[in-house]
Amino acid sequence: MIVSMAVVGPANSPLFIHTISPEEDPLNFHYIIHCALDVLDERLNTKSKTPGGNDPNLGLIYPTEDYRVYGYVTNTKVKFFIIVDEIETKMSDIREIFRRFHLAYVDAVSNPFHLQGHALASKSFEARVRSLAAIRL
Amino acid sequence: MAGKREVAESCFEFLYLELVRTCYVKEEDDRGTRSSLDAMGFQVGQQLAERYTIDRARFSDHLEVIKFICKEFWNELFNKQVDNLKTNRNREIFVLHDNRFRWLRHMSLPKDLAAAAETVNRYLIFPCGIIKGALASFGVLCEVSAELTDSATHACAFHIRITQK
Repeated sequence: MIVSMAVVGPANSPLFIHTISPEEDPLNFHYIIHCALDVLDERLNTKSKTPGGNDPNLGLIYPTEDYRVYGYVTNTKVKFFIIVDEIETKMSDIREIFRRFHLAYVDAVSNPFHLQGHALASKSFEARVRSLAAIRL
Repeated sequence: MAGKREVAESCFEFLYLELVRTCYVKEEDDRGTRSSLDAMGFQVGQQLAERYTIDRARFSDHLEVIKFICKEFWNELFNKQVDNLKTNRNREIFVLHDNRFRWLRHMSLPKDLAAAAETVNRYLIFPCGIIKGALASFGVLCEVSAELTDSATHACAFHIRITQK
């Protein structure tokens, strides 16, 4: 089950963090995503040396004891994170969710009233992310 | 997910002509108009760059970014690719030649190239902003300027000078 989905900007500033479970402290997820950012940055810097390593999907980047974090980087250095709490999750499902997440993000950013680099404040984007997070993996 | 939605191109052309005219009427000096048109183009360029790179693999260097601008990006915007790309030895300056710039094709221009270039300059600021914004969203900071190179065929040249990769 997806417990959190987040978007981080190119300057590593959080643009959008959505957490599902009410009993868990949302700050915990902020912290996990912050740590995952470091791993992702490291992965980006080393991957540039290998050819064929330019897939936007970075896969599982940060397994903690309760959660697993999947990462995805776009061409514009915007990073998406999905935090799951199950052991067995199919990569194809994750890929599909990332793709739809990316499309929802592009639609939200195309809003002419959205300020680039600021947090995403679109209600329709929030609704789309919530429906994506509700998908059973 | 909604499919690609389309708008008649003539609507855009009329809106664009009026946009440039309104900016020149509203601002007191030429510099203010240039910067507001440039800023508009910059924002649009960033948003378009996000949209047009959705399924694409990540770029490995700034040359690939420029090639993307010349091919896919130009194709989406103007229904054709850039006709000629020139660069200097250091790969810091790029010149994109478009032999029939689409946004100018319905304009009747004087035969004299200098006079035509003078009238058309204001309509090239917004596209320069778009290129600058798109490149900036990929992490390539640059200065972009454009000029009309042929008043009969509406050929334009866009000069990109990369300031930081």
